[in-house]
Formats: sequence, C-alpha cells, structure tokens
Amino acid sequence: MATANMLLMKPLANAAPEPAAEAPVEIGLVKAVLEGDRDGFSRLYDLYAPLVHGILLARVPRAEVDDLVQDIFLHAFKKLHTLRDSSAFGPWIAMIARNRAVDFHRRSRETVEITDDLPGSDKQEARAAEILELIRSLPDAYRETLVLRLVEGMTGPEIASRTGLTAASVRVNLHRGMKLLREKLGFTEGL
Amino acid sequence: MNDDYLWNKSGEPDPQIQQLEEILGTLRYRPTPLKLAPRHSFMTRGRYLSLLAIAATVVVALIAGGFWLQIRRTEASIPSVAFVTPAAPIRIEDPAPIRIEDPFLSVSQPASPKRHPRLVAKHNNPEAVAAKQQLMFALRLASEKLNAAYRRTQSPTQIKNQHRAG
Repeated sequence: MATANMLLMKPLANAAPEPAAEAPVEIGLVKAVLEGDRDGFSRLYDLYAPLVHGILLARVPRAEVDDLVQDIFLHAFKKLHTLRDSSAFGPWIAMIARNRAVDFHRRSRETVEITDDLPGSDKQEARAAEILELIRSLPDAYRETLVLRLVEGMTGPEIASRTGLTAASVRVNLHRGMKLLREKLGFTEGL
Repeated sequence: MNDDYLWNKSGEPDPQIQQLEEILGTLRYRPTPLKLAPRHSFMTRGRYLSLLAIAATVVVALIAGGFWLQIRRTEASIPSVAFVTPAAPIRIEDPAPIRIEDPFLSVSQPASPKRHPRLVAKHNNPEAVAAKQQLMFALRLASEKLNAAYRRTQSPTQIKNQHRAG
C-alpha cells in the first residue's frame, strides 16, 4: 500500500507526453464514420485493435481472440451511433470487449469445453503461452494492464488514455501486477 | 526500485521486463484487415429522432384525415333536415316480439333490435314520409298498369274473335 501511495504521489517527471492529441483524432474519426466514411472506421480499428486484442488476450483463449476482435469491431461499427461522447471511443470499445469476454465464458461454460491454449510451434511461443497463463491468474485489473504493457507494447499513459482509466490507477496496477508476476515467475526483484 | 521503464519505457531499462516483452511480444496483435459488412447506413441520434418525429407527424396526419373523412361521409349520409327537431318528441315503441303459432316452431322470435336514433330521426322526417308515400303510390300505379297490361295480353284473341263473330 505504501508503494502504491508513493506511486500515486510521485510526479510524472519522466513520463512520456500524454497522447492528448489523440482525442481530437478520435472525435473527428467517429464523426466522419457516422457521416458514412468507412475508411475512418478502418483508422479507428488500426488505432484500437491492439487495445481490444490485449483486453481479450487477458481473458479468453488465444485461439478465440482474433475472431472476437473482428466481432467486437463489427458490433462497434453498427452501434457507433449510440456512442454519445465521441472522445470516449476507447473506454467504450474496451467495455464492449470486456463484456464480450464475459459472454464468451458464459456461453462456453454451457456448450464448449474450455481448452488451454495450444503451445506454439517454437519454444519462445510456448514460453509466452505459459507466462500469459500466469498473467491470467492475476486479479482482473492487473492482468489487463500487464498484457497491454508487456504483450501489446503500450506505455502506461497510452493505456490510461485508451481505456479511460486514470494514469495513477494504471501505474499502480502495473506496479502491483508486475510485482505479483515476478513472484510467480520466481524473479528476484531488482535483478 | 525505479519503475519508469515499466511505466513509459523511459529511464534505465529493466532486463526482466525487457525479457518478458521479448517473449510475450510473440503474442502481440498482428494487423488483419477488418471485414466490414457491405454497406451500413449510420443513423445519428439526432437524425433518428428527427425521422421519428416526421414519422409520428405523418401517422397523426393520416389518423386525423381518416377521422375527418369518416365524419364527412357520415354527415353526407344524413340529410340536413334530420337535424331539425320535431315539434313534439315522437315515441317509437318497439314492436312486440313476433310469436309464431306453429307448434313445430313454437320458439318465439327475438325482439327486433332497437333502431339507431339517427335512423329514427330519418324515418320521422316529414319529407321522408312524404317521399315514401309518393314512392309507394308510384309503385302501386305501376303495379296497376302492369296488371292491366297483363290482363290485356291474356285475352286479346278471344275478344277479337268475339268482335268478329259479333
């Protein structure tokens, strides 16, 4: 807790500049898409597909992720007119992705047996699948943030701006999640 | 411990995190083209509401027009005199139920349904009564003429022969 408080109070001196310029881009793109510009939605897809992919990867089997990403964007495309605040496209689609993951587990519990991800063809992919399983065993908030950071390569500020979470929350989640992951992996801190 | 690298990839790189990034990077999102439906027309909330308002207006106008037409038709079917109130209210008594004395059909017939006030007014109208009487008279006259013609066609030869014989 003390660490978290320290992190929350720590000024972001070295922090990368917040992608504040992205918000108007989203607004413009959403507006353009609503006016019939399909290319605008492709740009939104390019911007937010990694976020949706990461959110799903933290929750559903790898084999299902790509199809679900497509489904979620198609759903978003149809329901875009229900988005009231164009600048909130990121949090909106993140919520759709989380809900879709919940739906997936609800349905698969009834009909499909959940199988572990198949190990990849090479060793590194197999190791990646193992670590991903460890991340998935972490609490919800930590695993999503860690996957977005370590798998999708997003920075903390990017995660915050795209998911709608506060930078402080993301930072705390990253720190605590990483600490738990290190413990699970048997890493000694500060190595 | 400095977690700047974990936060925004700045500062001194953490080798453990770098190693994790390298391994987990194999699972990273690989761009695939989005397959959108052929065409989808977007409807903004404002556009939707305005269309809804237009549709509602059209429906209300249609209903009002229908009512207006119905009222016009009803007014046209009732002569204007029908609205003239008679000097004294005329009481129309319902006819007694018709009883059929046939033992095989001993069930009494139900009473005739009550007449609609408008119809009663129409029948009580003096002009209508006069018209009805005229019509009846004309029918009776036509009937008499037909009878006379029929009678003439029934015995023409006989009369002619009698005339000749006479």
